[in-house]
Amino acid sequence: MTNAEQTATTFSADAFAPLAQDQDVQSISRPSLSYWQDAWLRLRANRRALISLWLVVGLLLFTFLGPVIWQIDPTIQDVEQISQAPGANRSVTLVAEYEPWQGQGSSRFAFAETPTTQSVRLQWENFNPSYGYRVYRTPYSIGPERAFGLPLAETLDPFFEDRLDLRPMNYYYTVMAIDADGANTNNYHTIEGTVARVITLEDARSRGLVTTQANPPIGTKYEFAWHPLGTDYLGRDMLARLMHGARVSLFIGFFAPFLYVLIGVIYGSTAGFIGGVTDQAMMRFADFVVALPFLLFMILFKVMTNTGPGESGIIPMLFAMVVLLWPATARLVRGQILQIREEGYISAGRLLGAKTNYLVLRHMIPNTMGVILVTVTFAVPSAIFTEAFLSFIGMGVAPPTPSWGSMCNEGIKTMLTHPHELIFPALFISITVLAFNMLGDGLRDALDARMRNRE
Amino acid sequence: MVEPPATDSESAFAQTAGKQLLVFGGVAFVAIAILMLALQALTNLMASNTTTAQAIDDVNNMISIAIREEPPQLNSTVATDASSGMIIGHVFEGLLRMNAKDQLEAGIAHKWHVTDTQVHFWLRTDARWSDGSTITAQDFVFGWQTALSPEVASEYAFLLFHIKNGRAINAGELPASELGVSTPNDFELIVQLERPVAFFDKMVTFPTYLPVPQKFYQATAGKYGADASELLYSGPYTISNWVHGSSLLLEKNEHYWDKDRIAIDKINIAYITSDSTASLNFFKDDKIATTTLTAENLDSALEERWQIKKHQDGAIFFLEFNHRKSHITQNYNLRRSMQLVLDMEELVYKVTKLPGYLPGESLFPEFLMGVETHFRKEYPATKNVLDRVRAREHIKLAKHELGLEAIPPLMLLTGDNAVSNIQAEWVQASLKKHLDLDIRIDKQIFKQRLAKMTAGEFDMVLAGWGPDYDDPLTFGDLFASWNLNNRGRYASDAMDGFISQVQDSVDPATRMRLFAQIQQLVYDDVVILPMYERGVTYVVHPRLKGMKRRVIGPQVDFTNAYIEPVSVN
Repeated sequence: MTNAEQTATTFSADAFAPLAQDQDVQSISRPSLSYWQDAWLRLRANRRALISLWLVVGLLLFTFLGPVIWQIDPTIQDVEQISQAPGANRSVTLVAEYEPWQGQGSSRFAFAETPTTQSVRLQWENFNPSYGYRVYRTPYSIGPERAFGLPLAETLDPFFEDRLDLRPMNYYYTVMAIDADGANTNNYHTIEGTVARVITLEDARSRGLVTTQANPPIGTKYEFAWHPLGTDYLGRDMLARLMHGARVSLFIGFFAPFLYVLIGVIYGSTAGFIGGVTDQAMMRFADFVVALPFLLFMILFKVMTNTGPGESGIIPMLFAMVVLLWPATARLVRGQILQIREEGYISAGRLLGAKTNYLVLRHMIPNTMGVILVTVTFAVPSAIFTEAFLSFIGMGVAPPTPSWGSMCNEGIKTMLTHPHELIFPALFISITVLAFNMLGDGLRDALDARMRNRE
Repeated sequence: MVEPPATDSESAFAQTAGKQLLVFGGVAFVAIAILMLALQALTNLMASNTTTAQAIDDVNNMISIAIREEPPQLNSTVATDASSGMIIGHVFEGLLRMNAKDQLEAGIAHKWHVTDTQVHFWLRTDARWSDGSTITAQDFVFGWQTALSPEVASEYAFLLFHIKNGRAINAGELPASELGVSTPNDFELIVQLERPVAFFDKMVTFPTYLPVPQKFYQATAGKYGADASELLYSGPYTISNWVHGSSLLLEKNEHYWDKDRIAIDKINIAYITSDSTASLNFFKDDKIATTTLTAENLDSALEERWQIKKHQDGAIFFLEFNHRKSHITQNYNLRRSMQLVLDMEELVYKVTKLPGYLPGESLFPEFLMGVETHFRKEYPATKNVLDRVRAREHIKLAKHELGLEAIPPLMLLTGDNAVSNIQAEWVQASLKKHLDLDIRIDKQIFKQRLAKMTAGEFDMVLAGWGPDYDDPLTFGDLFASWNLNNRGRYASDAMDGFISQVQDSVDPATRMRLFAQIQQLVYDDVVILPMYERGVTYVVHPRLKGMKRRVIGPQVDFTNAYIEPVSVN
């Protein structure tokens, strides 16, 4: 404003007549968009976010529709197909019921019968009867280092029956004469043989490969049940376990963050908006909650809810997470609200007579949406991991209920020999986490009120 | 936009501010660096000289090994765990010892004579404690009195109950001086027995029977065995360095009477870890001379082409039922139905998958000796024939007897290690599949599992039992109604009768016949379901010879071991 002198102007009465309503000024060239419509438009434009949205939808379908389509019980153990990789050979031959065997005597070291997964029967000529023999087995050929493999047994008889964890593969069997101290001697023989996978009639019937009436001849070929993603350490179908495990993992992954972020937003915005002593008191209480040890409280809740051993600890887990994890969100939201409260447009809104509710819901929360979404994005994977960890220490799901985390923890023990048991659940956790991260990123851009009307 | 040119005063201000910031940054950086180095130096000070382990050290004639956990202390009167047992076996020697072929051999006693209720030991006069003082008969008496005293509360005091008045002294009813032992002179020890014990000479190899030097014990003021300096050693090795939580170093005992027998000068217990993968990697890196293998790392051991060995450690594992009236597992038909469906061969051959494990058939493991040969050869256990149809009939009977529409979920108590987990889940799935029984698994750490077993908070438990002495009685008296290790509180007059008769008898033939009856009763009444006999699969450095794994006594024994010289070609 200047202090320049006002120039005197003369007005006619016409100048004070109201302007005629001009329709053209009021017309809107583009359709009016609500907040959500606008957000959806911007989300659709973001390709990464859209892909991750589809991934999340796919995961939900996998969880809810999957078990309807793939109706395999995830708790059924198939001891003939333990730790099978996907796409493993499933052919199997029918054999007679197992009968104990006592050897028949042989003039040389040989298989008494065709080696099968039911039993491998070896017999040999008595070449050193004084102290007995030791029988070894290995899948690797025996070189100069004389590593004969697994010692299966010490025996005085010139025959041996091996039934330990036989797999349809090639084995080298060694029979070694031992001395008085039980040490190996230089007197040994090795043979090589391929073990065939077999099944008994009763077993075939219980698997539904053969009807109860049918009596097929010995030697008939069958195929074991198909496990698209292989089986775990107890022969349970991995795909079915992943589908059922997803329920637990996604339940915790969705609900815990949703609930505690909601509580955090309400708490934080209240504290931030009211400010002053109330704010101080509320935030000191939040600090107090942060200091509570999560694991200890988890155990206390479990005791409190009377969750006995062998029962699922998912509900106490959810409760513990909701009760203990909200302060982080509350702090973030409070900080944002404190900042936004002093912004010009809030003051303007107040001057125009906006009510508190309107200010908070219309201006403040939408402006903190970015922060909230980032929190949620990080909370989902961390909730999934927390569930995994708690299931591992026996506080989470009770066997045989699977969850991705407990499957990983079981799979890691056999990581080197049967990697698929770790890779599949880990892959699902990774995909879920990635999808939520990218979706959260896109949502933040789409929902942030400050990004509105920008292309 | 174009920045307006900064005025002189502004740029000068910016310069000072920049300088200040630089100085602050520099100071902060230096301070953090100094703090870091100081902390590093402090941690180094705290961590004492960690020797670099070498599996076989020819220069020092030393081997390095790892143990699973640190011994809580090495006081032989109260030691219970396997790690303590292993070290005690190397640093102490008692009246008698087991040789490399598991035969009884003279130790500090060079001669002994056993009659029905009296055992006479003659001690050698050249046996010395590691401080050079003579080991006398009085040291044994003091050791036994200490182990029996109610204040010491040794868990293994019951092993001394064979000695006259032992039980009464432990209960606090008689003073320690009333123990049935006498010492005519420093080198003679006469033990009166409560009743005839057929295997007392084998019992004295157990750590609880070791001598304890009275003066030294009293001088330590309750810290006996807590550290290397709080011990006197009677055995082949002494502990020269004990870094708690990290390592122990055993060195040849110069005062040991039989020191020429010992070929290895030093045993470096370089690592304390219960992680089998870590031990495997130490072995792979040539840092330790032996390690055990688990089912998971068996394949890599095969691929490395190591010489794999196996050993039956004498422990049996079984599914124990709760026979208390408040638990439905006290119903015979319910237990019988489980006996008829659980296929222990499937468990051992397909699920546990470790060599050395044997499917459980009996309460008595295979290593136990009978009259002439192995007990199990003389009295084979009844073969359990699976029959699912009959099992379902028994379940129906059980429901009828219990007056239940359906069997409620049963609580299966188990340990928290990988092997027990798999087994518990297998039991759970098998019973669900064949009998439609719901099983809840209760995983607990070892101590908590024992506490729950003692309190009877289970329907079934995956339990195990290792032998305390080399006689079938160590297993045979497990299910006596008065035995506190009978966690399921099984009580039957027949069982109690057999056990009393065995305890009163010294005739081998009669005893074995009674053990066979116990074996049969365990099967007929389904007291437990034997699951498997445990085996140990392990690898040893190819140059370390003579290492012995034992069923009774120290699990691993290096006293007969030696390092094979490198062959010169």
